[in-house]
Amino acid sequence: MQNISLHNYQDFLLRYIDGELDLRETEDLLAFVALHPEAQEELELLQSTKLDIETITCPSKALLYKNIFPVIVEPTTIVYPNKQKLFKKEKEKAPVVLLKWWAVAAAAVFLFMMVRYGMLDQKAGSTVSKNSISKNKNAKESPIAVVKNNVPTNNSTTNNPDANTVSMAAAKVEIRQNGISKNTLEYRTVQNIEPTTIPTASTVTARETIQNIPSYNGDIIDVKPTVIAEITVPSMPENDETTETIETIDTEAASSNRSVMVGAFEIDKDKFRGLFRKANALFKNKENNKNEK
Amino acid sequence: MTEKDYNESVLLYADNVYRFIVKNLRHTEDAEDIVQSAFEKLWIHKDNVEPLKAKSYLFTVAYHLLIDHTRKANRITLQESFENDTQTAYQENKALKKVLHDALATLNETQRSLVLLKDYEGYSYEEIGEITKLTTDQVRVYLHRARLKLRSYLISPQQVL
Repeated sequence: MQNISLHNYQDFLLRYIDGELDLRETEDLLAFVALHPEAQEELELLQSTKLDIETITCPSKALLYKNIFPVIVEPTTIVYPNKQKLFKKEKEKAPVVLLKWWAVAAAAVFLFMMVRYGMLDQKAGSTVSKNSISKNKNAKESPIAVVKNNVPTNNSTTNNPDANTVSMAAAKVEIRQNGISKNTLEYRTVQNIEPTTIPTASTVTARETIQNIPSYNGDIIDVKPTVIAEITVPSMPENDETTETIETIDTEAASSNRSVMVGAFEIDKDKFRGLFRKANALFKNKENNKNEK
Repeated sequence: MTEKDYNESVLLYADNVYRFIVKNLRHTEDAEDIVQSAFEKLWIHKDNVEPLKAKSYLFTVAYHLLIDHTRKANRITLQESFENDTQTAYQENKALKKVLHDALATLNETQRSLVLLKDYEGYSYEEIGEITKLTTDQVRVYLHRARLKLRSYLISPQQVL
C-alpha cells in the first residue's frame, strides 16, 4: 500500500472522488487532507467537477417496449349532423285478439242454427228463394226428374205392389211444380231420355210422359228435389187420365238431398252434424274437467 | 433474456442511457435515435444477453454508437456553438453547475463518456473499461485527466479554451 504524500495526494484525491478508495485509504486521505490545507482546497475543486445526478426522461421510451403497452390512437369522433332525421318510429301493430273457447262455441252455435233453419226450410219445400235458382242454371245442373200428374200423394203409387216400373236412371229431367196450382207441371229440360223395356202396356215411358206435360207457363216456383228411383205407373185402365203418375228416381239426387244451401254455397249436412257433435263433445269434456277440478 | 426481462430493462435503463447520450451529444433527437438503436440491438441479441448484464450491454452499444455518430458529425459546428454557450455562461456568471456542464462539452468523447459513466451511473473503472473497451488503467488515467481539465475550466474557462 502506497503512503499518501504531497507528491501523490492528487491521485488519491481523484480516486476518492471516483469512489475507488477502500475504507482504510479513505481514512488516511481524510487525515492527510486535514493536515494539509492546500490538499483540502484541491479536494473541494475536484469535488466540484463531479456531476450531480439529474433525472432525464427519455421521450421515446414508450416506443422501446415490445408487445406490451400498445400505442393507443384515440379515434377521431365524427358526428353526423342529420342524425335526428334517421330515427324511425315503428307503426303500431293491430292488437291480436285471442279466440277463447266461448267465442268458438258461440260461432259454432250460430252456424248450427243457420244450418238447422236452412234444413227446416228445405223440408218445408216452399221457402227457397227464387234468387237461388235460375232457369237455365237449374236446367243444366239439376239431374232430378220428377213427373207428377195430378196424383195427390206418392204413397199411393209407391205402396202399390203391382205397379209397373221403368228405370229412369239416365234421364235428367227437371220439373218445377207450381206452388199455386199443383195440377200444373213445369217442364224444364229433357236430356238423354232413353226408355228401357216396357214390361206392360200400362207402363209409360218418360218421353211419353213428358209429352203429356202441360206447357210451361213461365212461373218459377221452388222445387224440393225429390229422389225417386222408379217411375211407377199403377195398373189402371188406359183411359183413366186423372191418376197417371211418373216419378223419376236418381241416385245422385239422394246425395244432393243431404246437401244444404247456405247462402250461395252447398254444404253437406252430415259433415256439419259431425263437426257440431265433436265441438259439443269437446265443450262438454272441458266443462266436466272444470267441474271435477 | 426474455421479453419480460427486455421490457424491464427498458423500464429501468432507458432513461439512464438517454441521459448518458444526450449529455454527450447535447442533441436530443440524435440521442433518441441512438437509444432506440441500442435497445433494438438488445432485442435482437436478447437470447445471448443475460438479464444482469443488460445495463452494461446497453451502455456499451450506446457508447459505440455515440462514437460512430460523433465521428460522422460536423464537429466544428458543435465546437463553435459550444464556445458561444460557454462564453455567454461565463459572462453572465451563471451557477457553477451550469458552467460545469458547459465544461463537460470541452472534453473529448472518451473523457466525457468516462465522466458520465462514472458520475451518473456509478460504474467502476473495470466496468467502464468493459463498456468502452479500455483497460482499467486507461480508464483511470483518462478519467483523471478529464477531472483535472474540468477543474481548470472551473477556475479559468478562458485558459482551458
